[in-house]
Amino acid sequence: MKNRKMNKIISVIAVAAMAMSMVAGCGSSSSSTASTDTKAETEAAADETTEEATEAADTEAAADETASSDEAATPRNETVYFAGQQWGAVNNYNPMSSNSNCWAMSQAGNCREMMYESLFMYNCLDGSVSGLLGDSYSWNDDKTVMTVTLKQDAHFSDGSAFNSADVVATWNAHKEYNSPTGASYTLYIDSIEAVDDYTVNINALLDDQGRAVNPLQIETYITAIFQMSDEYLQVVADRNNGDADAIKEDRMEDAVHSGPYSPYYASEQKLIFVRDDNYWGQSDSMWGSLPVPKYLAHVIYKDNAAGQTALQAGEVDACQQFITDVQKLWLEDGLSISTWLDEAPYGLCLSMPTIWFNCERNGLDQTAVRKAIAMATDFSQIAASAMSGQTYTFDEMPRCVANPTDAERKYIDFDQLTDLQFSGNDVDGAIALLDEAGIVDTDGDGIREYNGENLKYQAECPSGWSDWNATLEIIAAAGQKIGIDITTYFPEAASFYDDLTTCNFDIGMWTPTGAEISGLWARSAAYFSEDYAALEVNWSGNFGHYMNDEADALVKSIPYMTSDEELKEAYTTLSKIYLEEVPSFSAMYRPQAFFAANESVWTNYPAQSNSETCNIPPLVLTDGAGIEALYHLQLVEE
Amino acid sequence: MKGYKKYYFNKILWYLLTLVCAVILNFVLPRLMPGDPVASIASQSLAGVTDATQVQKVYAEYAAKFGTDRPMWEQFFIWLGNALHGDLGQSFSQYPREVSDILAKAIPWTLALQLPAIIVGWLLGNILGAIAAYMKGVFDKAVLPLFMFIGSFPAFGMATIMLYIFSLKLKIAPTAGAYGFDLIPTMSWTFVKSVISHYQLPFWSIVLITIGGQGIGMRSMAIYELNADYVKYSRFLGIKDNKIVGYVFRNAMLPQITGLALSLGTMIGGNMVAEMMFSYPGLGMTMLTAVTGQDYPLLSACTLIITIMVLIANLALEIIYGIIDPRVKAQQQD
Repeated sequence: MKNRKMNKIISVIAVAAMAMSMVAGCGSSSSSTASTDTKAETEAAADETTEEATEAADTEAAADETASSDEAATPRNETVYFAGQQWGAVNNYNPMSSNSNCWAMSQAGNCREMMYESLFMYNCLDGSVSGLLGDSYSWNDDKTVMTVTLKQDAHFSDGSAFNSADVVATWNAHKEYNSPTGASYTLYIDSIEAVDDYTVNINALLDDQGRAVNPLQIETYITAIFQMSDEYLQVVADRNNGDADAIKEDRMEDAVHSGPYSPYYASEQKLIFVRDDNYWGQSDSMWGSLPVPKYLAHVIYKDNAAGQTALQAGEVDACQQFITDVQKLWLEDGLSISTWLDEAPYGLCLSMPTIWFNCERNGLDQTAVRKAIAMATDFSQIAASAMSGQTYTFDEMPRCVANPTDAERKYIDFDQLTDLQFSGNDVDGAIALLDEAGIVDTDGDGIREYNGENLKYQAECPSGWSDWNATLEIIAAAGQKIGIDITTYFPEAASFYDDLTTCNFDIGMWTPTGAEISGLWARSAAYFSEDYAALEVNWSGNFGHYMNDEADALVKSIPYMTSDEELKEAYTTLSKIYLEEVPSFSAMYRPQAFFAANESVWTNYPAQSNSETCNIPPLVLTDGAGIEALYHLQLVEE
Repeated sequence: MKGYKKYYFNKILWYLLTLVCAVILNFVLPRLMPGDPVASIASQSLAGVTDATQVQKVYAEYAAKFGTDRPMWEQFFIWLGNALHGDLGQSFSQYPREVSDILAKAIPWTLALQLPAIIVGWLLGNILGAIAAYMKGVFDKAVLPLFMFIGSFPAFGMATIMLYIFSLKLKIAPTAGAYGFDLIPTMSWTFVKSVISHYQLPFWSIVLITIGGQGIGMRSMAIYELNADYVKYSRFLGIKDNKIVGYVFRNAMLPQITGLALSLGTMIGGNMVAEMMFSYPGLGMTMLTAVTGQDYPLLSACTLIITIMVLIANLALEIIYGIIDPRVKAQQQD
């Protein structure tokens, strides 16, 4: 009898608990109502918490303190939410780390100026370079020494002044600990020395002839490398007993930095940065005010689809993801979502995903085969289906080594390239080219042979990269039309990287350097550098080992050219080789950073049609000169 | 008691042997995947470097740090030695994070989601099965078939349907995560409510696909038991139906307990798809990251945990069976 009673009680409790959980669950799908209700308290608590967090200088500690004092820690009207840039829990905030995955420190062509800052910012819209921690820079006559003057009112998050010692210490740390930055730039920079408190000289490494090895790389250094505090670097060195490996692995949760946002909260689910209200950039010499959002937050979504769903639901403001038919979000779904352009291609196309041929494979070592595949490829289908119209066509923007911006295209003489262009889907022309080259099908199996072997290739890119997968399917279909057996192969990304970087592929897809201060040269090097091809493992370019001494010599000589005429001639010649020899070919133009903004909470995002923000690159509010966007955002409802 | 000792000794011995094999496979299989993740880490950090010596030097440093420059058998024993001390190494994809740290943050979410979901699904399934067998009618002709239909959905399918209906169309449930996109974990009602809210879709997507399978098993067993001689005899004796159903239920439950134990053991492997679909921060998401990032240490650790859970669940089941049903022990000893 007792048992039965007990069973009844347990059943009632269980049913009640389940019902309660459903009611509670469905009653509120978002915490926004509660957030609004407690807004006043929250703001006060958040302020307190922020101060405490900064003092404690420890993300975990900050979270714990927040937990006890703050409910909705990142109020909707003070926070800009991002998607598409952080795919796992943050592993460190260390600029010397080899593989930091921190959203605030990613370098997608342009330096992300959220937490740390570079000396100068690059604006990919007009090719200009503007000062950040640096004020101005100049070269000596033979481009062996670059002199940089620094902003005198810049300081770090701990209040200490930023000066020459920090620039020198940053370089020395990278070099001494052999960080990725150090390993890369010791090939071009010999030393950095302080001239006075606010002036430094960057001394280029010299080659046998006494010339700087590559002055362009030094220009890249000043726009790409985060500057760190001399004093803080010493703290990190001391706590790791000077052990280079340990220093590079230090999580630096207590980092002293100069940028406007500090780490605030980090977990497996999200990463939040809070504005440093003592940020030096509010001085008149820089921005004249603080950035508008108090918090920048990034929820960690499992994939693009989850991020897009959140964008549509208004939980994300700035989304750095490729969204198929993005225009349907506002045309059909009626959402207040916007992009850089109101019409196709919607984004600012800066990069050129490229099809790379392995020039060491039988058949692909022949220009006729490479060019025939490129000619037969239906680029309009790629533009329409794979990219859902979010690209320029090659009729609108003819092919060359430059990206589709005026900043780069001014170095190309397109009149000389007109006869060399191929707009695609030219199956007859491709067949004629192969026949003329004597590459024909002799055994009647429908596949052409070269050196007695069928032309049979795999076109490879990572699995799940849907637009790229679709592109390679279109290229495979083109191959079948001209008697070349191309099949697609989509392994996991890590496996693909291994194939690409060790030249263990037939046809691969990858994007060379996008828009950055030396982007045109870096992309040319990626297409033609024989030095890259000679590397056993390389992520730099020329993945298919294309060898052309003339092109390689031009790539090597461009960094020393000073006049625009000279540069124009060189880049036009490289473009000719690119179109005649087809060591690789661009499949599409594509935004360097996709950027769709939900304007239900924040507005006044960078947009070409907005006179106030049209010269701010749409680089997700944070990259290079694009960070200026954070100073122009406005709340939809004040 | 002597019989029990022999029975348990045999069982534990076999399970230990299975564990050794499983541990070896857990270590070896991920490392047989094509590709070199260490080369990826090293060369990604050196993009633009044209000095082959420098590239090789950095690669060698990473290979030495991760131990991938040693023969696989040597790597295995180093890994095993460290694992026995609770050190599962550093993650490749999230380097320099410790694997144990990553797992420690993921496992509580998985347990909190999967354990209740499987138990509730199992309970509801068994109740439905018993009702369908005993009362028949609409339960047997409509409700149970409906849940069997739902149960035939793959986990990702059910998750997608629920996401579409409740999040995107009805907008009464959140789309992703374990709590509100604008919240930080606190002991406040706002946060708790948000956790409960985010719990619903992943929880019910697991529960709903569990009910049908458990229900049909219970129904079959209950029907079998209802026709057993002891039931008929009990009825002749005039024993009340409630009492008889109690006996039937207990007897029919035996195979269902097996099902529950196996479900608990395989919960991470089977239901983690729901975690992935809802970006729920459990082991499912962790494994997904590990697979896509060719993160051997993390992947090996995840599969090791799943293996150990399955083995423990099975061993516990066999031990308990030996006690609750002496026929099993007796048969095993023959």
